[in-house]
Amino acid sequence: MKSSEKINHLYWRAGFGLSPEEWSKKKDWSVKRAIDSLFKEAAQAKTLNGEKEFLLSISKKDGKPSKEQIKKMMKESRQLIIKQNAQWVGRMADDKHSALLERMSLFWHGHFACVNKTSNLAYKQLKTIRKHALGNFREFVHAMCKDVSMIRFLNNQQNRKRKPNENFARELMELFTIGQGNYSEKDIKEAARAFTGWSSDKKGNFEFKERNHDEGSKTFMGKSGLFNGDDIVNIILDQPETANFITRKIYRYFVNEKVDENRINELSRAFYKSDYDIRQLMLSIFKSDWFYESKNVGTKIKSPVELIAGIMRSLHVSFEKPKNVLFIEKALGQILFIPPNVAGWAGGKNWIDNSTLMLRLNLTYYLYGKSDVNFKVKDELEAKKRGQTFRKIEGKLNFKPLLAAFDNQSNTATFEAMKSYLLLPPILLKVSDFDSYVYKTNSSDYIKSLAMRLMSLPEYQLC
Amino acid sequence: MKRRNFLKQSALASTAALVPSFLKAFGGEQILGSRSGKILVVIQLSGGNDGLNTIVPFQNDIYYKNRPKLAVRKNEVLRLTDELGFNPALKSLRGLYDNGMMSIINSVGYPNPNRSHFRSMDIWHTASDSNEYLSSGWLGRYLDSDCQDCQSPYHALELDDSLSLAMKGKERTGFAANNPQQLLKATSNKFLKAVAQHDHHHEEQVAYLYKTMIDTQNSANYLAGKAKTHKSSVNYPNNGFAKDLKQIAELITADSDTKIYYVSLGGFDTHANQKSKQERLLKNYAEGVSAFVKDLKQNGLFDDTLIMTFSEFGRRVKQNASGGTDHGTANNLFLMGGQLKKQGFYNTAPQLTDLDKGDLKYEIDFRSIYASILDDWLDADARQILSGLFDKVNVF
Repeated sequence: MKSSEKINHLYWRAGFGLSPEEWSKKKDWSVKRAIDSLFKEAAQAKTLNGEKEFLLSISKKDGKPSKEQIKKMMKESRQLIIKQNAQWVGRMADDKHSALLERMSLFWHGHFACVNKTSNLAYKQLKTIRKHALGNFREFVHAMCKDVSMIRFLNNQQNRKRKPNENFARELMELFTIGQGNYSEKDIKEAARAFTGWSSDKKGNFEFKERNHDEGSKTFMGKSGLFNGDDIVNIILDQPETANFITRKIYRYFVNEKVDENRINELSRAFYKSDYDIRQLMLSIFKSDWFYESKNVGTKIKSPVELIAGIMRSLHVSFEKPKNVLFIEKALGQILFIPPNVAGWAGGKNWIDNSTLMLRLNLTYYLYGKSDVNFKVKDELEAKKRGQTFRKIEGKLNFKPLLAAFDNQSNTATFEAMKSYLLLPPILLKVSDFDSYVYKTNSSDYIKSLAMRLMSLPEYQLC
Repeated sequence: MKRRNFLKQSALASTAALVPSFLKAFGGEQILGSRSGKILVVIQLSGGNDGLNTIVPFQNDIYYKNRPKLAVRKNEVLRLTDELGFNPALKSLRGLYDNGMMSIINSVGYPNPNRSHFRSMDIWHTASDSNEYLSSGWLGRYLDSDCQDCQSPYHALELDDSLSLAMKGKERTGFAANNPQQLLKATSNKFLKAVAQHDHHHEEQVAYLYKTMIDTQNSANYLAGKAKTHKSSVNYPNNGFAKDLKQIAELITADSDTKIYYVSLGGFDTHANQKSKQERLLKNYAEGVSAFVKDLKQNGLFDDTLIMTFSEFGRRVKQNASGGTDHGTANNLFLMGGQLKKQGFYNTAPQLTDLDKGDLKYEIDFRSIYASILDDWLDADARQILSGLFDKVNVF
């Protein structure tokens, strides 16, 4: 494999591809140099500090809000979450932000899937995710168990001594840590007891409500004691099966949906031994030779958000309004902060049906404004009116960096260069196959029209 | 090949008139209609339709006590039995009911009901348990099973721009098209048509994307062609939902290979000022369906058609302070067709004396109805498609 192919693969899996400027600069880098740079950027990334922007203008702490106020709050919250969503996609697409950190956060957002209803809590949750995305998974789980948006989503507010609610305990084990088959129904009941009273106050901070907590002895995974939620998390993480479950999920997301059991075992043993050092695990994946084997390259269907961020990166797209990003996410089936359920996005072929594929293939054209979308997004279930039809996606494209990166070459050389930049899987189409579908009047028209064609190929959907 | 499939195929090879009667008797199932295969139309009422104000328990004091503002007045109810009747907005369905073409199943739901629209709709779409998360839908998994003639990409069609989870299988998916002409336009990209003709690599994901693209291009041609074959002569109301139903009737009449249709009508989340909103929607629903049935009957196709109408949940028994109702649980479900064995009400009215925190308790698991449709209408294997065994409802 050519080294530029390795670089492209690495940046697509550890990030969202490369902007044309980055491509010019980094395509000849060694893999080692690229990995060092990715991790350095992640380590130096700034923490989010826009909390104030996402606080609601009315708050429950000001006393019991009226019905009208609640309605207003919910509306405001929805709008702020859309804004946050668009900002996040913007960061994924912007080469001034750490691509690795954003990519890891996206993965963990899908792992600790939580349907967010309150904008400032969604923001807080994303901050927590970013803090631990490349940190220690043990600490990460502890933090997520105290995340207010998650607590509310999984009904732990209702988990009280006299009337335990098992939802949180069940998902913690089934989806977030150890996976099905490694615990009993009794374990769920006992864990639920340990998490009783883990709640939140009106300001949206974690609050341990002692009077709702079951102080009694619990027997969990073969151990007995006066366990609280923290103890439960630690016992779960003491099981090597947890390391295996998480490693498998990471492998399927970052490497290949088809797992290689030997690699999983090897990686998960090391992950367990490091006491869940996520950074170390990711490094050993990206540094391995097998990560760059052709069966692992260009064989993953981009998620809608990955697709949008990638197009934005390559064509420097800026959207007029956050709702344009939301529209694409909705139509393609991945809305940030609103995963379908606690199991997250199923991914892979699940992204594709006739409707989403045609929209994906035509997406750059719609962004370019050459053709109308005329796509009706599904009615919100609680909507009063029928779903909105989108005629146009209002976005601006800037081709200059692309032109600068690929200009001054013969058409054939341009074709080869752009192909290796834009597509990860090999294609059998030759430069001449594009002749009738590109502008050849001058090199910039050629580059533009060729880029759009390459980005409308089914192969562009893969990374 | 399964025995039933063999029988069905051999039967199909001949014409309806020539099918020996012993074949029909075999297994006690209807093998042939006048068309090639049975049609299923699923109508989704999105938002949680208030079942208690749809099928009204007009003799029940608890109903009137809980809904002083919202209850349908006794003298306005279209009485069907001694205790239950239609909301007057369903007037146009009266004939269907009287002629034994409608079966109403009360108290349909599932254990540990979820009151979130999205989650409950997912549960209905995937046929999962309340605490189980599946990424494929029940009709999608039907397509995945070795079902009769369902290889074509447009075997199951949703009249919408995007596809519902119910229609997504693990291997195959249904097809989404709001309108065949528009679909034709969206797939008219000459470059992509040329690309489709060209060789590509056969790595699994690449092949899958190409197959989906080519299927879509071909389906667009097929459906647009079929949509032009037959123009309905029935008068449909002028709204989007009725337009969808008309489109479906035209495709069925043109003997399209599409056998499963999926269509939604939204707006049922009536937390405030419910009365006028719900009645307007019910009227749209009833008038649309009534025109649709008339259309199919005119063409002798209603015997081969089963229409199922459902909503993700019903609403609370008690009205709220805004003249509406909040999210509830069990609900009624309608089946319509020309071949119903159990006509009218399938079971008794919901128990208003035995509530679960103000909500109706379910009596019939919705998956029992799916199981019956899969086994007895679509001639598939429900056990393979639904996880778990469900007692079937004996309606058709």
